[in-house]
Amino acid sequence: MLVFDHVTKRFGANTAIDDVSLTIRPGVITAVIGPNGAGKSTLVNMAAGSFRTTSGRILLDDVALQDLPKYKIARAGLSRTYQNIRLFDGLTVLQNLEVALVPRSLPRLIMQAFGLSPGSSEAEARSDCETVLQRLGIAHLGERHAGSLAYGQQKLVELARAIVARPRAILLDEPAAGLNHGETDELKAHIQALRSPDLAIVLIEHDMKLIMSVSDEIYVMARGAVLAHGTPEAIRGNRQVQEAYLGQPGAMGTIEAAARGRRNRIRVRAGEGLAWGQP
Amino acid sequence: MIPMALMPIAVIVFGQFLPAYPLRILDLVLLYAMLGLGLNIVVGYAGLLDLGYVAFYAIGAYTYALLASPQFDLHLPFLLVLLIGAGLAALAGVLLGIPVLRLRGDYLAIVTLGFGEIIRVLMNNLDGLTNGPQGIARIDEAVIFGWHLSTPLDYLYLLVVLVVLTFLFVWRLQESSLGIALAAVREDQDAARGCGIDTTGVKLVAFATSATIGGIGGVVFASMQQFVSPESFTFWESLSIVLVVVVGGLGNPFGVILGAALLVVMPELLRAYADYRQLLYGIALVLIILARPMGLIRREYGPSWLVRRMTRA
Repeated sequence: MLVFDHVTKRFGANTAIDDVSLTIRPGVITAVIGPNGAGKSTLVNMAAGSFRTTSGRILLDDVALQDLPKYKIARAGLSRTYQNIRLFDGLTVLQNLEVALVPRSLPRLIMQAFGLSPGSSEAEARSDCETVLQRLGIAHLGERHAGSLAYGQQKLVELARAIVARPRAILLDEPAAGLNHGETDELKAHIQALRSPDLAIVLIEHDMKLIMSVSDEIYVMARGAVLAHGTPEAIRGNRQVQEAYLGQPGAMGTIEAAARGRRNRIRVRAGEGLAWGQP
Repeated sequence: MIPMALMPIAVIVFGQFLPAYPLRILDLVLLYAMLGLGLNIVVGYAGLLDLGYVAFYAIGAYTYALLASPQFDLHLPFLLVLLIGAGLAALAGVLLGIPVLRLRGDYLAIVTLGFGEIIRVLMNNLDGLTNGPQGIARIDEAVIFGWHLSTPLDYLYLLVVLVVLTFLFVWRLQESSLGIALAAVREDQDAARGCGIDTTGVKLVAFATSATIGGIGGVVFASMQQFVSPESFTFWESLSIVLVVVVGGLGNPFGVILGAALLVVMPELLRAYADYRQLLYGIALVLIILARPMGLIRREYGPSWLVRRMTRA
């Protein structure tokens, strides 16, 4: 279970996340949606340790993540994919996955490098990687360099890397962005196959069709706060969300405009720093 | 495996027919190959530019000079000092690594450069300990289990063994989980942390390992020359070892050995052109880098690639 407990994030005077609480249960797929600037990516980045929270707690099965360094968050069982793919381009696909399975203890790593410990764990890791690649249908790419693959393949490799270490929570940051219809359908099947009783899955997406078809629960965010929470049917039927975001282009425009307006104000203020104190 | 195993034997056979002076050059090639293989762990595997590698080399050399010379009338056995020198260099690597490995890129290069200079300036000024600029002379010849190493040919044997051991070690390291972790750090440090890699920790291990090899090289150098002075450990020396790695092939042990051969032999061949030697050397380096920006032998054509090829054929 991944819990955001009254989390706030401020960047200077700008509050990106304002006292947000979310509970992401294992065994189901939880989508987080909302217009640009709603704070979805900020949530992901805080959970993964790229940003520090201003206040509040983030818990993964009762382990507090908010003050841990990034690599310890990963070791606690939280993995992620990136909005802009971040693979190790110069390494092969298999090696990319092996990175996630590198033994955690430094002495053990040293022993292995010096050839002083039985290397069975390396062989084990390799077969784990091959199994995951097979599951995602990209086993034939194992020896290719990650940088040489097509965009859709890279997205799958990133997904494979995120699941190979058997995480307890996974954050998928816009996995369908830039994929064509066929690839999106394939991705949908893979995301559905991720469902398992001890994995909490967070899906951040703009593709509403994908979200409505795969997610069990949806949080709608706007301007750094949770606007609504419920099943896809409830969200679809929620008047507030409909007005604000889904059905009516006009209503959705309002939120976008509000978000833009907020940004503009900040820009104006920053640009006219000298005029700040004047009424 | 067979061509790789033949190489050291070929070098030893070749050495039998060489007069003293070229033999000395060959010894230097092997010494630089060993230093390059050590530095390659940090520069080639982890992708960190270390411009102060000579500091570890100096620590090894001075350890032997102080513990096996008339300086303090200590004459500890070679192998013991080899261990002490390696240990001290590793310690220096860790002590330097802890504060500086948070830095990246240019900043790391500048701080390591500074460290290299600090060690040299210390050696130059701790007159009571190191004799300052005059250096330490009449250093003991190496004795290994009763075998006195006195000729360049003797050192050739020692160096061939050391280069082979270093080569096997760095190859094993590159293929191990630690090697994978270092490669991830080199490719994308943040993503590596996101995958659970303790980036600072593995970089520290790389730094210390590389320093250890530098220290061993220093001990051998001191016993071979029987003289050390701060002049041998200038920034130019660090730069030469970086060049061995970069020209030869970043991250490729074969490349590093070839780079060492080229960078040691080329200046000797250019001696005939006295005044223009440095100029020609510089031009040659620029041309090589332009023609082979990834080094003489690219990263992927390393020992594992060769083994795969040989077994497939």
